[in-house]
Amino acid sequence: MTAPEPAKQAATTRRFGTCAWGLLSICFTASLLDGAELDEVRRRGELVWAADQEGGGPHVFPDPADPRQITGFEVELAELIAGELGVKARFLQGQWDRLPLLLEQSADCVINGIELTPERRRDYGCSRPYFSYALQALGRRGAAPASFADLAEPGPSGPWRVGVLTGSAAETEMRARSSRGEVQMEVIGYDGTLDSLEQVQSAVLDAAVMDDCIFAFYADRYGKLRAVDRPFAGGFYTVLTARSTPRLAVAIDDALGTLLADGRLKALYDRWDLAGRQQMLLLRDAAEIPPASQRTLVELIRQTLPLLLSSAGMTILLSCASFPLAIAIGLAVAIGRLYGPSWLKPPLTAYVEVLRGTPLMLQLYAIFFLLPKVGLALPALMAAILGLALNYSAYESEIYRAGLKAVPLGQFEAALSLGLSKWQALRHVLVPQAVRIVMPPVTSDFIALFKDTSVCSAITVIELTKRYSVLALSMGRIVELAMVTALIYLCMSWPLSLLSRWFEARLERPAGTTP
Amino acid sequence: MIKVESLTKHRSGTPVLDGVTLAGEAGGVTALVGPSGSGKSTLLRCLNGLECFERGVVSIAGHRLTPGPHSGGVLEALRRDVGMVFQQFNLVPHLSVLDNVTLAPRTVLKNTVAEARSRAIELLDRVGLGSFAAARPATLSGGQQQRVAIARALAMQPQVMLFDEPTSALDPTMTAEVLEVIVDLAKAGQTMVVVTHDHGFAKRAATWVVELAAGKVARQGTAAEML
Ligand SMILES: Nc1ncnc2c1ncn2[C@@H]1O[C@H](COP(=O)(O)OP(=O)(O)O)[C@@H](O)[C@H]1O
Ligand SMILES: [Mg+2]
Repeated sequence: MTAPEPAKQAATTRRFGTCAWGLLSICFTASLLDGAELDEVRRRGELVWAADQEGGGPHVFPDPADPRQITGFEVELAELIAGELGVKARFLQGQWDRLPLLLEQSADCVINGIELTPERRRDYGCSRPYFSYALQALGRRGAAPASFADLAEPGPSGPWRVGVLTGSAAETEMRARSSRGEVQMEVIGYDGTLDSLEQVQSAVLDAAVMDDCIFAFYADRYGKLRAVDRPFAGGFYTVLTARSTPRLAVAIDDALGTLLADGRLKALYDRWDLAGRQQMLLLRDAAEIPPASQRTLVELIRQTLPLLLSSAGMTILLSCASFPLAIAIGLAVAIGRLYGPSWLKPPLTAYVEVLRGTPLMLQLYAIFFLLPKVGLALPALMAAILGLALNYSAYESEIYRAGLKAVPLGQFEAALSLGLSKWQALRHVLVPQAVRIVMPPVTSDFIALFKDTSVCSAITVIELTKRYSVLALSMGRIVELAMVTALIYLCMSWPLSLLSRWFEARLERPAGTTP
Repeated sequence: MIKVESLTKHRSGTPVLDGVTLAGEAGGVTALVGPSGSGKSTLLRCLNGLECFERGVVSIAGHRLTPGPHSGGVLEALRRDVGMVFQQFNLVPHLSVLDNVTLAPRTVLKNTVAEARSRAIELLDRVGLGSFAAARPATLSGGQQQRVAIARALAMQPQVMLFDEPTSALDPTMTAEVLEVIVDLAKAGQTMVVVTHDHGFAKRAATWVVELAAGKVARQGTAAEML
């Protein structure tokens, strides 16, 4: 492209040159596309690693000395790995069972006690094992179960109630043993490991199963708890990366190799009281885990549909049990505030303001985790129904209050003038009219509640959304299962809206004498 | 049957009723007249306890109301014997005409459905609406609704009926049909107090006329003396 030609030709050449350069750079980029992520990490100077500090110690947890900081052996591991890549480590908080989803977003890798499984080998980039864990069952001192063998038979009051971290190997293992009939237990999934420790301590659960290092770390804080028998199963933790970032995966794997070889990993585990030498021996002899094979769509649906449907049943149960309760309480509160004695009004107003002013999640937490501390342990389902009912009762009471006020005063005076008592007037004249007036907002609240039931997964009640998220992640079929789940939601909400329309029509139906 | 002595009531500091005393025979048909805002409705509402008052005494149908808030029991007992008909009818919209009329007998007097219904049909016939039993109030004309409201009040067999401008919301034809019913009642010996602007009606039906002005009794006397 150096030919000194007339001006016109030079321009053409330049144009050609630009095109060629563009084409070349596209080819260049394409050829390096699946490796560009490592350069991106280096350019950024940061390795973004995701974990859940709610998961607790010794992995990643708020530093007791300064809760704004996080600490844990994985925090240090992340820093070591990042150091090997020549960058800094940046922590990204996520909900534990959904950490892999962050790989599609902003996280470069997940370092948080992620167990190496055939499914994860298939769906993600998995580093070599960096830690060996074993599963440990825990119970209360002096209470059954005393040994792992006890779990083979039901407890004194039915199947043992056993808490696990949702989506963890402990959950998979216990559900598998339970479905094979080897243990007689109801496996209850929690969003945080400490939640299940709390619940065993307050006798809501009979036992919990978790990684041995977690119990070792918290054994002093939960003095009432003891290990039930020796650890009984186990595996390895892996650093998870996205399938689309193979070069980063290799770089991280190499970094781990270096840390293993030069003794820094052993020193790290020794610092955290995690038996460095034993870890090194176990890691050295870790067997290769082959990736699982992909399921066909039909297989996938056949396997997941029964679970999804039963969780849909839970969604329906939660809404249909809690909403009538919410309406009853809400109506009573509204009537109390409008027509009750004056001493009743401040507490009722406070009731409404507190329940409206605090998140549903917090209320569910209080009912489920705090009430047992004062000796009032409710089963999760009851706690969920109660929590939803109380929360929505505040909103319904405001709606009914507005509805009652919208009934003309003359209606009330006419009823009183006929000799009806205040309560009879309410029951026969005011409330029926208010109910009709508020039908539309109440219906839309029911649909809102229907969707809000998903919050109940925080207190171990697994409804459709939670079931979807657990299944989608464990099977790595996020899109297909999302479609199935959406279809189930539609099948539920459509009759619901038909029902509410029928209900409205029925209430507005003219003529006809009621008996 | 009705006695009112030095009744005084204030609303936000200003007197609405100022020492109202009703003289004359306590029975028959009393017409309450006077300019708008003179306190007619307030006086009527004091008679069945929809309003409290500060001074004076009300005796009606054997019940006694004293100053200050009234207890629920006293009011319920009084209102069984004192019916009221409003300018705006105030029928219960989601109940049929028949159910409007049977509501109080069933809930207050605990009549059986059959009892209450047969009596309600009689009353609806009496006000000329026997064939509208199954209709909803909203499908009726104003005059028809007011006649249902009268039947509804009568279902409690009250000793005294109070009417607050029962025809003010109605056009002349409907006014005539409602007044017809009230005049019939008067002829049948029903004790009643009627707030009205209709001097023709007062002349025709009233035995005693009270004229209020600014919360005070301006004049009172027999219909012949007053009109
Ligand atoms: N709900 C109310 N609140 C405040 N003032 C009222 C109310 N109702 C009536 N009043 C006042 O009380 C006075 C008497 O009213 P009312 O008894 O309705 O008169 P009338 O029926 O003769 O037109 C008027 O000055 C009116 O403005
Ligand atoms: Mg008036």
